[in-house]
Amino acid sequence: MATHIVMDHTGDTRHEFDANDAKALFEAEKRFEQLTGAGFTAAIRNSSGDPTVTRRFDPKAEETLFYPRLVGG
Amino acid sequence: MLQTTLRNAVRNIRQLLADSANRWQLLRAQYRELGCPQREVRGIRLLQAWLSPEQLVQFNKYGYFEVTGCQTGKRYRICYGTATNIHELDQYGRPKAGWCFVPNQPLVPGDVMLAQKIALETDEWAALAVAKSFRPTWH
Repeated sequence: MATHIVMDHTGDTRHEFDANDAKALFEAEKRFEQLTGAGFTAAIRNSSGDPTVTRRFDPKAEETLFYPRLVGG
Repeated sequence: MLQTTLRNAVRNIRQLLADSANRWQLLRAQYRELGCPQREVRGIRLLQAWLSPEQLVQFNKYGYFEVTGCQTGKRYRICYGTATNIHELDQYGRPKAGWCFVPNQPLVPGDVMLAQKIALETDEWAALAVAKSFRPTWH
């Protein structure tokens, strides 16, 4: 199962989906587009565990993390 | 004979101190989570899952961790908190400048720190471009 983790005021909300299920994958891609379109940054971890920002939906990513736009505090 | 006894005593004292320190760190981590609301604990768990092994050790021990800016190679210390919690370090590891950038939604400390870590490690200049600077203080 692949997971989209979206940071929010509850800590995070997780959306699990089966990457082999075409419908689930379509929904996941739609969520990716909506979140990044709303200013969220999507990050995945590469094979060595380092975070990488991704601008395209990666159907093979096991875990994608979304955090809101950053602003000066 | 006396030398061996002394050496053993020193070794035992060192072991005792190390064990005490480990127990203290564990207690600190447990206490931090006990006093936190569930959502804050979720944030800490998520952060811990994304930290490198070295950063995880630092965070569990001190409540902060250090990252290297991907473009300048500068070192930054991200302290537990949701604002004014990033210190740029000098060559001796002392805070020389403070930077503040945060997600534009209210998030728990662990989430904020994770977003800051990823930003500095993947697009340091973009993060600093929106950041506000402040004078750092010693913690």
